[in-house]
Amino acid sequence: MSSLSTQNPLAILGIEFVEYVTTQPLALGIFLERAGFTPIARHRSREVMLYRQGTMNVVVNASPNAPFNASAAVGSTHIGAVALRVQNAAAAYSYAIANGAWEVPVHAREMELNIPAVRGPGDSEIYFADRYGDFSIYDVDFVALPNVQKVIPAAQNETFFGIVQLATVGRVAAWQDFYQSLFGFTTIPAGQFFGVVNKGELLKSPCGTFFWQLIEPPGEGDDVQWDEALVRIGVGTRDVAATQAAWEARGVKFLPVGSTANGGVKRGAVTEIAAGGACIELVLNTGGAQ
Amino acid sequence: MSPERFGIDTITLAGSLAAKLKASKAAGFSQIMLSAKDLSGHPDGVAAAAAEVRASGLRVTGFQVMRDFEGLTGPLGQYKLDIAKRMLEMAAAVGAPFLLVCSSTSSHATGDANTCSADLRKLATLAVPLGIKVAYEALSWGRHAHLVADAWKIVETADCPNLGLVVDSFHWLATDAAPDVLDGIAPEKLFFVQLSDFMWQSTPTFDERRETARHMRVFPGEGAHSEQLAMLIRGLVEFGYQGDFSFEVFNDDYAQMPLEYVTQRAMQSVHWSLDRVPRKDLLVRRAVRRSQPDLIALHT
Repeated sequence: MSSLSTQNPLAILGIEFVEYVTTQPLALGIFLERAGFTPIARHRSREVMLYRQGTMNVVVNASPNAPFNASAAVGSTHIGAVALRVQNAAAAYSYAIANGAWEVPVHAREMELNIPAVRGPGDSEIYFADRYGDFSIYDVDFVALPNVQKVIPAAQNETFFGIVQLATVGRVAAWQDFYQSLFGFTTIPAGQFFGVVNKGELLKSPCGTFFWQLIEPPGEGDDVQWDEALVRIGVGTRDVAATQAAWEARGVKFLPVGSTANGGVKRGAVTEIAAGGACIELVLNTGGAQ
Repeated sequence: MSPERFGIDTITLAGSLAAKLKASKAAGFSQIMLSAKDLSGHPDGVAAAAAEVRASGLRVTGFQVMRDFEGLTGPLGQYKLDIAKRMLEMAAAVGAPFLLVCSSTSSHATGDANTCSADLRKLATLAVPLGIKVAYEALSWGRHAHLVADAWKIVETADCPNLGLVVDSFHWLATDAAPDVLDGIAPEKLFFVQLSDFMWQSTPTFDERRETARHMRVFPGEGAHSEQLAMLIRGLVEFGYQGDFSFEVFNDDYAQMPLEYVTQRAMQSVHWSLDRVPRKDLLVRRAVRRSQPDLIALHT
């Protein structure tokens, strides 16, 4: 590998937001609110809502013109984009394009921010956002909902822990190299995992604030046609059991999987799929990735 | 090794894409190597051509061919990159697992292996989101890379899982390559093998190689190098190559013969090739011929 794999060529600082593209915005909104997110703003020109919890921003894009939505079956939800917070979006974009990323056509309208993006797995896109803090991208493109605070507390310090990507059989190494050479991710040692889904390859972001997990489809020989896609958000929490209990009390359903670490501490949990494709994995965050 | 690992190349065949697909399938082939011209030259456009391919039920072996890509700079380099991206999109449209890239013949291209590696790494990275691999082949008249060893040096330097090597028996024979040229290469880095022969003993100059390669190749078993070709196929099996073999036979005569005549000759060449692989694999082939599933199960 080139030396870039140990550096941070795009000056990535973390995940700015995750965007769901959906034909079920109401059902997805209910799921997110049950998972502790609060709707705080609406896009100026499109059917897009911004949800927030602590430092996590989730964008729900129900615009009929959104990529994927135009041809999607009713009742579908996909992770359409991950926005990476970078120091300089134009520089990050230029670096990525120069090294083999695909440009994505700009969606911005008049007076809206042009957030540069490159193609990700499946139908997804990877944005580069460099406006955050006091004057963020949301201040330009979104209108705040009335009587809603911008700062939404996260009860157990929930933060983005990572993204889980499905790679079709035999393609994990190619994607691993993709994220290493273009984004500066590093592969963590084999056998080191977090949460309860201990498989595939786990890549660490060059900023050290989140992970990117590459997994192959479950099982072989079945009749399911698996497509490459971003399939789950990982949410880190300092107390998986407490976060799970709080979400369950509000109606989130979890899969019957889980494991415990030494001392009986719950390491992770995975929600059932909601709104035709939304799934969140809770991961015990002991400060490893953060 | 089974007959299903052999495919035919559309550049060998005359007629429309639909006719080529139909004739290949009728002759017993289960896969086909496509050319960009199959799509771009379709009267109803690329999407219609891709739909035709999918409807045929034939597996797409790969997609060819990107020429004179690596080692360029400035507007020419940018132009070639744009062309390569369109090639990748067409390859994706037909579900091709590989885009075939031939070593550059351009006098404008640098021979610096690091530059060529970087260019091919970039192309292989572009191919990742489309689900395609890039397979690099040394043309025997390539300006800088004309041997398998030259191509491997570039692929090895790129160190990219999505980039691998092509061995084309024509170039192998034309350059009188040593049998051990693949020694030290991991079998999984050999993405693809193309098979053909030619009618005369040697092609010492680049011009002779190019002329022969583009007009007078023949199927394995029909040419002047059957023994060497058999050695190559056996060597590839022993080497551990697990991929497909495609007959890339540029031949002006075959290009004006009835499709059925050419595809049947191609199928005879499948059996000629299989007759030259080790005994264990031969049993599998016979089992397939006789449609005896129990025998197949024994040896696969």
